[in-house]
Amino acid sequence: MKYIINSPKVGTVGDEFEPAQGINIEALIAGGFIVEESTDKPKKSPTIKKEPKE
Amino acid sequence: MATTTYLSNLSALTVNSVSLVDQCTGIVFTQLRESLDKTTLADTGRTYTGGLYNNECTMTLFQSYAASETYQTLAALVGTRTTVVATVIEGAVTKVFTLADCYLESMPVINGALGELSTVDLSFTGGALSVS
Repeated sequence: MKYIINSPKVGTVGDEFEPAQGINIEALIAGGFIVEESTDKPKKSPTIKKEPKE
Repeated sequence: MATTTYLSNLSALTVNSVSLVDQCTGIVFTQLRESLDKTTLADTGRTYTGGLYNNECTMTLFQSYAASETYQTLAALVGTRTTVVATVIEGAVTKVFTLADCYLESMPVINGALGELSTVDLSFTGGALSVS
């Protein structure tokens, strides 16, 4: 999980936010100052096998 | 004896990484170590030794309910710990005071009076004070 700056009060908007020690991440997210960005790759949707022809 | 003076303008102030220097009208960082009385009957006066640190940062901010301003920054911090960083520049010397892991117990949500700009007084207590 990484965080992206969403307010110029925190830094350059769009840059990655690297929290220093003691920073309350939840409060920054609640205030809309940063947003979470998932680093997980989206899973592929399962392929549906066609029914075998009789 | 040489003395130096400086205009008490902060060059930067962040609370939980959010810049609030444009709302701050006053700030006090206090390094505090509680005194423990170690006086004995052999002493002729009180003597003390250092106990726990109980650092404190108090500040006055203009209240603003606008996005990314005072209220939005602080509302979610009440009852939690955070970090306050203040930077002072005097000529070629830069001092960065960091109070890490300090606790915000309360915040006035409304403080209004006729004909005055609304301000809030905050007190961050505890934590570790470092200077760089």
